[in-house]
Amino acid sequence: MRTVPLGRILRNTTLILLALLWAVPTWLLVVNAMVPAAEYGGSPHWWPQGFGLLDNMRQAWDRAQLGPSMANSLLYAVTSSLVAILLATGAAFAAVVMPVRRRTLWFWLIYSGTLLPLQVFLRPLFLSYADFGLYDTQIGLVLVYAAIAVPFAFFIMRNYAMTLPREVVEAARMDGASWWRLFWRIHVPLSRSAMVAAFVFQFVSVWNDLLFGITLSTSRNIRPVMAALAELQGTYVSVGPPVVLGGAILVSLPTVVLFFSAQRFFVSSLKLTR
Amino acid sequence: MSASATRPAAGTRPAGTTDPVSPKDPTPAGRPPSPRRRARRGLPLRERLTSGAFLAPAVLLVGALLLAPFAATLWRSLFNDHRASGFAQLDNYRLFFTNEALVRSVENTLMWVAGTVLLPFVLGLAIACMTDATRWSRFARLCVVTPYALSGAAVAVVWNFVLTSDGALNQLLKTVGLDSLAHGWLLEWPSSTVVMILANAWQATGVAVILFLVGLQGIPPETLEAASLDGASPWQRFRHVVLPQLRPVSIIVIGMSLANGLKSFDLIWVLTQGGPGRATETLAVSMYQETFLLQHPGAGAAIAVVLTVIVLAASWLYLRRQLDAKGE
Repeated sequence: MRTVPLGRILRNTTLILLALLWAVPTWLLVVNAMVPAAEYGGSPHWWPQGFGLLDNMRQAWDRAQLGPSMANSLLYAVTSSLVAILLATGAAFAAVVMPVRRRTLWFWLIYSGTLLPLQVFLRPLFLSYADFGLYDTQIGLVLVYAAIAVPFAFFIMRNYAMTLPREVVEAARMDGASWWRLFWRIHVPLSRSAMVAAFVFQFVSVWNDLLFGITLSTSRNIRPVMAALAELQGTYVSVGPPVVLGGAILVSLPTVVLFFSAQRFFVSSLKLTR
Repeated sequence: MSASATRPAAGTRPAGTTDPVSPKDPTPAGRPPSPRRRARRGLPLRERLTSGAFLAPAVLLVGALLLAPFAATLWRSLFNDHRASGFAQLDNYRLFFTNEALVRSVENTLMWVAGTVLLPFVLGLAIACMTDATRWSRFARLCVVTPYALSGAAVAVVWNFVLTSDGALNQLLKTVGLDSLAHGWLLEWPSSTVVMILANAWQATGVAVILFLVGLQGIPPETLEAASLDGASPWQRFRHVVLPQLRPVSIIVIGMSLANGLKSFDLIWVLTQGGPGRATETLAVSMYQETFLLQHPGAGAAIAVVLTVIVLAASWLYLRRQLDAKGE
C-alpha cells in the first residue's frame, strides 16, 4: 500500500535534484555577473554581493567592442533570415503548388545543403571570398548566412505548403490570376505562421553563429557578436570573470527574450521539422 | 508516422489531411507515366520560365555558396600539402590511422556522439515525464529549458567559470572536504572531454524536454486509462503505452542530438581551443585547426569529408523518412 507515496517521493526528489543541478550554473552566472569587477577577489561567489551588473556589461561593451558587433549580428540575423525565408517560400511555392517537373531533384538540390557539416564549406568560401573582395565585409556575411539558412527554411516551408488547401489556388488559377499574383496575394498570407516560425529559428541560429564569424571576418566593426564574445573570453584573466560573465549575459539577452516571448513559435518550428 | 501505411493513392489528396510529409508527387521514374504526368510534359514555356524564376534564386544561392564549396573540398582532399601541391590519392585519409592528434580526435568525436545522444535523450524524457502541471514542477522544467536559449559560446563562458582551476566546482569540492577530487578539469584528458559533454548536455536537454512534452500531449488519455483499468502498473504503462507512442519524437530527438554532437564546435573552441596539446579536439575542431592554423588544407579537407560521411550516415534516420515521404 506504501508503493504509491514512495514512488512519488522518489520522483520528486529526483526532480528537485535535477532542477538544482541545472539551476546552479545559471545561478552562478547571474550572481557573479553582478559582483562589481573591482571587488571580485579571485574565487567564485555563491551569493549576490553589491550590484555591478550594468557596470560589468559596460566594461565588456567597451573592452570587446560588443556594441558594433551586436549591431552587426542584428543586421546579419534580420536581413539574412528575411532573404532566406523569402527565397525558400518562393522555392517551396514552386515545388509544391506549381506544376513543376523533377520535384524530387529540386527538393534534394536545395535540401542537401542542410545535411552537410559547415566545415565542408569553410576553406573554399574563405578563398573565393578573398578573390571576390567579400572577405571581411557585411554583405559577404549576409550572403553566407542566407545560403546556410535557405535549405532548412525551404524544408519547413515546403512541409507547410503541403498542408495548405489546394482549392484556393486552383480557384484563383481558374479566374486567371498569374502565379506571381497568387504567390503574393494568397500563398504568402497563408504561410505567414510558418514563415514567422522559420524566421525565429533562423534569427537565433545566425545570432549564435561563431564558426563563420571567425572564418570570414576579422575586423571589429564587421565581425558578429559571438566572435566578439570569444575574444572577451580570451581576456578572462585580465578583465576578470564578472566582466566576461556580464558580457555573456548581454549578448544572450536578445535570444533569451525572443525564446521566452516566442516559445510558441519555437515549438511550432520544431514540430514542422517532422 | 509511417508515411507508407497511410499514403493516399496517386494524385488524390484526402480532405483534411494534416500529415506534413504526405506525398505530392508519388510517381517515381520508371513506372508508366500517369495522365497528370503526361499533361505536365506539355507545359508551356511561359509556365516553365515562371516556375524556374521561383526556384532559381534559392537553387543558385545554395549551389554557389554550399554545393560548389562542397565539391571543391572533396577535390582538394585528394591533393597533398607539400609546397608544390600534387595529386595524392587517398594519402590525406591515411592520416586517420597515423596521425596521433587525429586518432584522438576520432576518439573524442565518438565520446561526443555517445554523450550527446544518451544524456539529452534520457534526461529529457525523464524530466518531461516526471513534471506535471503543478507550479513547482513547471519551475523545475524552466530551470532545465532556460540554458537552451544560450549560444554555444555563452555556454562555454559559463562553464569555463565553473570548471577552470580556481573555478566554482573546485571551490565547492574543497569546501565540502573533497580536496582530493579537485583538479584541472579542462587540463587532463579524458576528464576534459567528459566535462565538456556534460556542459553540452546542460544546454541541449532543454530542447529534448520541449519535444518530449509535445509528444506526450499527443498521447490520447483514453489509452492510458484503458491500461490502468487493465491493471497495468505505472512502469508498465510507461513501458508499453507511453514509450511506443513517443517513437516519432524520439527519432527527432536522437537525430538532432546526433547531428549536433557531430558538429559541435563552438563550445570546444571557446573553452579549450581543442587543447591542451590538441587533446580535446573533435573532427569539427580538427578540421579548423588543420586548415586555418596549421595550414594543412589537404588534411583539413579530408577531415571535413570524413565528417560529412559520418553526418550523412547518422542522418539516415531522417533521410529514410524523407525518402519514404517522397514515395521512393
